Amino acid sequence: MTMTDATSIEQERALDAASKVVKAEAFEMKRSLDKGKRMDALKHASAMLAELKSSLLTPKYYYRLYVDVIQELNHLESFLKDELEKELKQETIAELYEQVQYAQSIIPRMYLMITMGVIYMKLFPKMKSELLNDLVEMTRGVQHPLRGLFLRHYLLGVSKSLLPDLPEDAQLAIPGSGTVRDSIDFIKLNFSEMNKLWVRMQHQGPSREKEKRERERMELRILVGTNLVRLAELQTLTQDVYVTEVLPSILEQVVSCRDPISQEYLMDCVIQVFADEFHLATLNEFLASCKELAQEVHIKNVLIALIERISTYVSHPDTPGISEDIRLFEIFSSQAEGLIQSRSDMPPEDIVSLHVTLVSLAVRCYRDKLEYANTVFASLANNLQDKNVDNVEQYSAVGKELLRVLRIPVDEYKDALRVALLTDYARAMAPLNYRGRCTAASYILQDMIQMDTPLKTEEDVDAICLLIDCLLTDQPDQPADTPETEEFTDEQDLVASMVHLVQVDDKDAQFLLLNGLRKRFGAGGKWRIRQTLPPIIFSLYQLILAYPAPEGDDSARDAKLKKMFMCVMGTIGALVNSGELSQLPYNLYLEGAIVANRVSFEEKAVVVYELLSKALSVLEDEIADSRERLSALAVVTNTLIKIDCLPNDNWEPLASQVILAGAKMFKKPDQVRALCSSSYLYWKGRVDGSAEPMRDGGRVCDVLKKAVKIASQCMEPLVQQQLLIHLLNHYMHLYEDGCDKITPEILNELISRTRDASVQIEPSQEADNIEKHLQHTLQYIREAREKHADLAEHLQI
Amino acid sequence: MTSTATQRIPSKRQTLDEAYAPPANFLEIEVVNPITHGVGKMRYTDYEIRMRTNLPVFKQKESNVRRRYSDFEWLRGELERDSKIVVPGLPGKSFKRQLPFRSDDGIFEEEFIENRRKGLEQFINKVAGHPLAQNERSLHIFLQETYIDRNYVPGKIRSA
Repeated sequence: MTMTDATSIEQERALDAASKVVKAEAFEMKRSLDKGKRMDALKHASAMLAELKSSLLTPKYYYRLYVDVIQELNHLESFLKDELEKELKQETIAELYEQVQYAQSIIPRMYLMITMGVIYMKLFPKMKSELLNDLVEMTRGVQHPLRGLFLRHYLLGVSKSLLPDLPEDAQLAIPGSGTVRDSIDFIKLNFSEMNKLWVRMQHQGPSREKEKRERERMELRILVGTNLVRLAELQTLTQDVYVTEVLPSILEQVVSCRDPISQEYLMDCVIQVFADEFHLATLNEFLASCKELAQEVHIKNVLIALIERISTYVSHPDTPGISEDIRLFEIFSSQAEGLIQSRSDMPPEDIVSLHVTLVSLAVRCYRDKLEYANTVFASLANNLQDKNVDNVEQYSAVGKELLRVLRIPVDEYKDALRVALLTDYARAMAPLNYRGRCTAASYILQDMIQMDTPLKTEEDVDAICLLIDCLLTDQPDQPADTPETEEFTDEQDLVASMVHLVQVDDKDAQFLLLNGLRKRFGAGGKWRIRQTLPPIIFSLYQLILAYPAPEGDDSARDAKLKKMFMCVMGTIGALVNSGELSQLPYNLYLEGAIVANRVSFEEKAVVVYELLSKALSVLEDEIADSRERLSALAVVTNTLIKIDCLPNDNWEPLASQVILAGAKMFKKPDQVRALCSSSYLYWKGRVDGSAEPMRDGGRVCDVLKKAVKIASQCMEPLVQQQLLIHLLNHYMHLYEDGCDKITPEILNELISRTRDASVQIEPSQEADNIEKHLQHTLQYIREAREKHADLAEHLQI
Repeated sequence: MTSTATQRIPSKRQTLDEAYAPPANFLEIEVVNPITHGVGKMRYTDYEIRMRTNLPVFKQKESNVRRRYSDFEWLRGELERDSKIVVPGLPGKSFKRQLPFRSDDGIFEEEFIENRRKGLEQFINKVAGHPLAQNERSLHIFLQETYIDRNYVPGKIRSA
C-alpha cells in the first residue's frame, strides 16, 4: 500500500465521520424548522457547520464536505426566506442577523451570518450597500487559508444575484440598494483577501511537502479566479473604471504577492475573462506588469494567450478597425524579443512558440504588411542561430513548433508566391534537418497544387524553387537511403506536379519557363529526374501541339519548333543516360515522333526520323528482356504506321530496321511473332507524297513466308502448332483485307499442316487449348467461304 | 444597527507587504547524521542539528552544528534552572547498555542510536518552539554556536 493510498483511506474515513454528523444535524435542523422552532434549527445548523472547522481534510476532501453542508444551508436559506417573506417585518430578520453573531465558534458564526445577510438583502434591497460591505469585512475573522477560501467562496456564490449593477451616478429607486461601485469594492476586497490566503498556503507545513502543497493550491485556483469572473460579469463596469481602477488594483495584488503560481494563473485569468476592448486599452500597463513577475512564471504562456486573444479579435470580420495609435505588432514583437533576451535559459521550442503567435498576428491582422511577417521570420532565424539550434528533427518539440510557424503564412495567404515574397522565410527553414525541410517544402507545393497557383514568370519559378530547394537537388545532410523511401517518391511527385502550374498565355514565354524548369530539375540527379522530367516532356508536347498554325512562310516559327524538339530530345536523352531508364524514354521518343508528325513545320521529317532512330537505338542497346522487346517492336510498328510524313528514302531503312530487329530476336517463337506484327508495316505504312497506305502484298508475303519457315524450325510440336495457327490467322486477316498475293493455296497448305500435326500431338491441357484455337480458326475460315468466291472454289477444308 | 456586543471594531488596513510576506513562524529542526567518533572505550556518538527558521528572535536563519547527548543534558539543565517552562524529558541515558560484557555494541548499537536520535529530535523541536525557551541564551548557544562555552553568562535574549 503506498503512502497516498494510506492517506486517502484516512481522508475517506475522516470525511465519512464528518458527513455523518452533517446529515444528522441537518435532519434535526429541518425537523426544528418544520416545527417552527427557529432557534433550535439554528443551533443544529451551527453544530452542522462546526464540521467545517476540521483541520484533518485535504482540499479535495474538504470540498466534498463543503458541498454537502452548503446544500443544507441552501435549504435553510430558502425555507426561512419564504417564511419571512410572508410577514415581511424588518425587525424579525434584523434580529436574526444579530442573533447568529452570538454563535461561539467563528466558522458557524460566519456562515450563518452570510446566510442571514443574504435573506435580509433579498427581502430588503435597501440594506444591500450596507450589508455587502459588512459581510466582506467580517469574513476577515477567518484567517486559516483553506477554511477562509471556502468561506469567501460561499460568500461570493450566494451574493452573485445580489450584486448591484447600476451605473455609479444612477438615481436609485431604492436608496441604499447600491450601484456598481458597491459591487466593485466588494469584489476587490474579497479578491485581495482570497489571494492573500491562497498565497499563504504556500508557507503552511514542512518544506519537504512543498510539491504536495503546490498541487493542492492548484486544485483551489478557481476559487480565487471566480472573483475576476464576477467583476467581468458586471455590465456597468465601464472601460474607464477598468483602466483607471480595476485593472491596476488587480495587477497590484498580482505583482506584490511575488508567488509564481498565483501570478501565472491570475494573469491568464485576466486575459480570459475581460473584454477584448479592455485589453486593447490596457496593453502597455499589462505588459509592463509582466516584466515584474517572478522568474519562475512562464511569461511566454501569458504573452501567447494575450496575443492570441487580440489576434482573434482584430482579425474577426465584425470587429471595427482598431485605431492606428495602437501599434499592436510593434508592441508585441518588442515584448517577445525582450522576453527572449532576458530569459537566457528559455528552451528553443518556447522561442519558436512565441514566434508562432507573432506570425499569426502579423498574417491575420496585417495581411498587407508583408514586412511584419518577414521581420518575424528574420528574428526567428537569428534567435535560433544564436542558440546554435540546428539539425532539428521534425517530430521533436522544437520541430513541431517550427513546422507550425512555417505553415501559418501558407494556410493564411493561400498563395505560395506571396509566401515566397517573405525573403527570410527560407532562413527560418534552415534549422530543420533534411526530412523536416522536405516536409515544409512539400506543404508549400501541396498548397500550390490545391490552390492551382499559376507560375507565370521566371521570377515566380525562381522564387518557388528557392523555397523548395531541398527537394530539387542532393543536400549535404541527406541520408544515404533517401531515394528508396516512400516520402522521396511522394515528394518528387509533388515537384513533378509543379510543371502543370506553369501557365502562360504567350507560347514562347511558356517554352522559356518550361526550359528553365527543366534545367533546374535536370540538376536533381538520377533518382529525381526519373519522376520530374517526364511531365516536362509531356508539357512540351502539349505546347507544341497547341502552337498556333503557320501563316504563310514563317521561318521564325520553324526555328522555334525545332528548338522545342531539341529540348525534348535532350531531356529524353538525359533519362536514358543519367536516369538509366529504357522503357520510358523509348515510349517518349515514339510519342514525340507522333507529335512531330501532326504539326506542320519545315524540318518535320528530319525531326521524326531522328526521334524514331533514337528510339530504335534505345531498343537495340537498352531493352534486353525478350518480352519487353517483343512488345516494344509492336509499339514501334504501330507508331511507324501512324507516321505519314517520311519520304521513302527515310521510311525504308526504318522499316527494315524494325523487321531485322524482329528477325534477330533470340528465341525463334519470338522471331515469328515479331515478324508477324511488323509485316503490317508494308501493308498499312504510308510515305510522304502518297495518299494511301502502300499495301505492298508482295513484301508482306515475303515476311510472312520467312516467319513460316522459322516456325517450321521450332522443334517443340506444341510450340510449332501454336505458331502456325497464329500465322494462319494472320494470313486470313490480310486475305480478307484484300491482299491478293495471299492465295488459297497458301491457306490450304497451312490448314493441312496444322491438321496433320494436331493428330500427332500428345493430349494435354495445353494441347486441348491449342486444338480449340485451331477449330475456331477453321470454323471461321469455313464461314468466310460465303463472302469470298475464290475461297469457296479452291479451299480444301 | 448592532448592539454593543456585536459592534464593529474599526481595524487598520494591512499593507501589501504585510499581506503577502511569508509568515514569520517557520521553524524546522532536524537531528540527523549520527557519527560515532574514536575507538574502543573512548568512543562517543554525536548528531547533526540542522535548523531552518524565519523567526525574528534567531540571529541566523540557517544553522548546522554537531551535538552529543551530554550537550542535550546540559541544555535541559540550563532551561530547567532559568526558564519557567516545564522542560520535556530526554530519551533515556541507558546505563545498562554502558556496562561491560555485552554481546552487542551497547550504546553504539545502530538501533539504539536511531531511537535516541528520534527522541532528541522530538525534544529539541518542542523546546525550540516555546517562546519562553526562545528567550534563553543557552538555547541560542546550543542551536547556533559551533562550540558550547560551559562558562557562558546565562541571560535572556530580547527579540529585535
